[in-house]
Amino acid sequence: MYQLYFNLCMHIFFISICSPSGKLVQIEYALAAVAAGAPSVGIKASNGVVIATENKHKSILYDEHSVHKVEMITNHIGMVYSGMGPDYRLLVKQARKMAQQYYLVYKEPIPTVQLVQRVATVMQEYTQSGGVRPFGVSLLICGWDTDRPYLFQCDPSGAYFAWKATAMGKNYINGKTFLEKRYSEDLELDDAVHTAILTLKESFEGQMTADNIEVGICDASGFKRLDPSTVKDYLANIP
Amino acid sequence: MSLLERPYYPDYSSAPIQHQFSPYADNGGSVVAIAGDDFVVIAADTRLSTGFSIYTREQKKLFPLSDGTILGCAGCWCDTLTLTRILKSRMQMYQHEHNKTMSTTACAQMLSTLLYYKRFFPYYISNVLVGFDTEGKGCVFSYDPIGHCEKTKYKAGGSAGALLQPLLDNQIAHTNLDKVPKEPLTVEKALALLKDVFISAAERDIYTGDNVLINIVTKDGIKEEHFDLRKD
Amino acid sequence: MSILAYNGGAMVAMKGDQCVAIAADRRFGVQAQTISTNFEKIFNMGPHLYCGLPGLATDTQTVMEKLKFRKNLYELKENRMMSPKVFASMLSNMLYEKRFGPFFVEPVVAGLMPKTYEPYICNMDLIGCINAPDDFVVGGTASAQLYGMCEALWQPNLGPDDLFETASQALINAFDRDAISGWGATVYIIEKDKITVRNLKTRMD
Repeated sequence: MYQLYFNLCMHIFFISICSPSGKLVQIEYALAAVAAGAPSVGIKASNGVVIATENKHKSILYDEHSVHKVEMITNHIGMVYSGMGPDYRLLVKQARKMAQQYYLVYKEPIPTVQLVQRVATVMQEYTQSGGVRPFGVSLLICGWDTDRPYLFQCDPSGAYFAWKATAMGKNYINGKTFLEKRYSEDLELDDAVHTAILTLKESFEGQMTADNIEVGICDASGFKRLDPSTVKDYLANIP
Repeated sequence: MSLLERPYYPDYSSAPIQHQFSPYADNGGSVVAIAGDDFVVIAADTRLSTGFSIYTREQKKLFPLSDGTILGCAGCWCDTLTLTRILKSRMQMYQHEHNKTMSTTACAQMLSTLLYYKRFFPYYISNVLVGFDTEGKGCVFSYDPIGHCEKTKYKAGGSAGALLQPLLDNQIAHTNLDKVPKEPLTVEKALALLKDVFISAAERDIYTGDNVLINIVTKDGIKEEHFDLRKD
Repeated sequence: MSILAYNGGAMVAMKGDQCVAIAADRRFGVQAQTISTNFEKIFNMGPHLYCGLPGLATDTQTVMEKLKFRKNLYELKENRMMSPKVFASMLSNMLYEKRFGPFFVEPVVAGLMPKTYEPYICNMDLIGCINAPDDFVVGGTASAQLYGMCEALWQPNLGPDDLFETASQALINAFDRDAISGWGATVYIIEKDKITVRNLKTRMD
């Protein structure tokens, strides 16, 4: 997939060009890379927010729980992606750095909106600068500031959206339809985790286990990635 | 290692080395004096220090020169020792020559002269002299290190002098106040104020602390009092 | 003589019960020569936020302009007011950026925290080391005198009127013993729903 996206970008390598229809084709390619990537979901609950993703491995030899897709940015912000892993890790690194820079200046944790805005700015710069290509990822950024949860999606174009619940990656349309049916405003965090796993299960091929999905939650006490044993407990309640 | 990279030993170098000697030390300490109509109180803390170390926590810095005259000294302790020794002998010489004790005002003038005598190698001391003036009222004389002398009703000198002087202005001279109390200053009020200002000084000045020695001078003689300050 | 003492000036901020005071003298001078007696050193930085910048007068004004710039940008970006704590951190950070060629000001920040209206005061040195105690802070050439005054006069939980009297007396008596500050004073009392500004008449010598 990486090779495919790379080749598509090659023929217009150094500058971003609009097609006659006014579309930036590189961004279209990036979005295609996202739509082909592993599914991920995010749901806001009344007392927190959950993000979850598929983390399937091609071989039984793969050492799972070593490289993660759900990452903490600061104590109260977490992130997950659909698309290309290497691009994601660069954004995680930048996001963490921006969060710490904010803290250094203001001695106050960065508000989620601010982080999202700044990450989006970086992503936008990669659509307009010479010698680079757009990021092949969409991000789900979840956070908790002062008294309420936040959930954002950040696209390769630099566009960002605030969601109550959303799905990205492969089969995201089905995922969103599922969420539209399931979502309610006064969901508790535990139920939200349950719903998130159910949404992933909709398009999941094969047996879902604690080793091939990743879940992160964020509430007043901060962000954390759930350990496999906790995920297993949630899976036990899934029909 | 090449010959040019030999280590450098200053003792074996032929280059001239300049040595320095500073004849002064600042040993800190604060002196506060307040005069009323029929009394005068003078107090000094008992900490003797240099830089960040304390020599002793019980150094008396008040020197009775006669039954009604007391000198308080803060600053360079070695200069204090020398100056007070000279003062004591001059007091005795005066007694022998005139067959009477030197008055506070005369003593004040003599101190000024002694200080100015060393105009170009001064005694590095904040001096505060208390006693009774020619009218028999309590008085305070304060000095700079080279003999400038001023007669006042109150004075804060030494390391916390700058901290305390405006407070005395406000509380004794009632500066910048609308309602000025008419009743004259009493010993009790003066002592209470003295304690307050020393406690304040000990909070912010590292050279003031440990203990305060107070001398209360009245027509009946000199009475001593102590109270504790913070010791850190 | 220190550059910090080139123009002179005295400043104090105090915490009270649900209120804070910040006060400064009004002199602008060049060493011993007084140039004007209506120089502002305290600046409004928000509905409950004031910042005093005693020190070199040119830096007082430059730092004030730079602070307003950064604060306005923050408030536009984040769509919210800057709290005194955040303001102090930002100022500290700005001063440290010039660690080896500093602005010669010793800032004092006073205000009420948003929502809680909890009093906040702090001061810092010219390279931004923050000191935020729960009684009072001082700055300027009369700082020794101010420490002595405040240490004796300040007490916890003063109401706005008592706080005004305490801060004023501390400031005026302190700068009367400093040759290069005084010539009038300005006192701000910051309360939840009221800011009181008073220009005080003092001795002019």
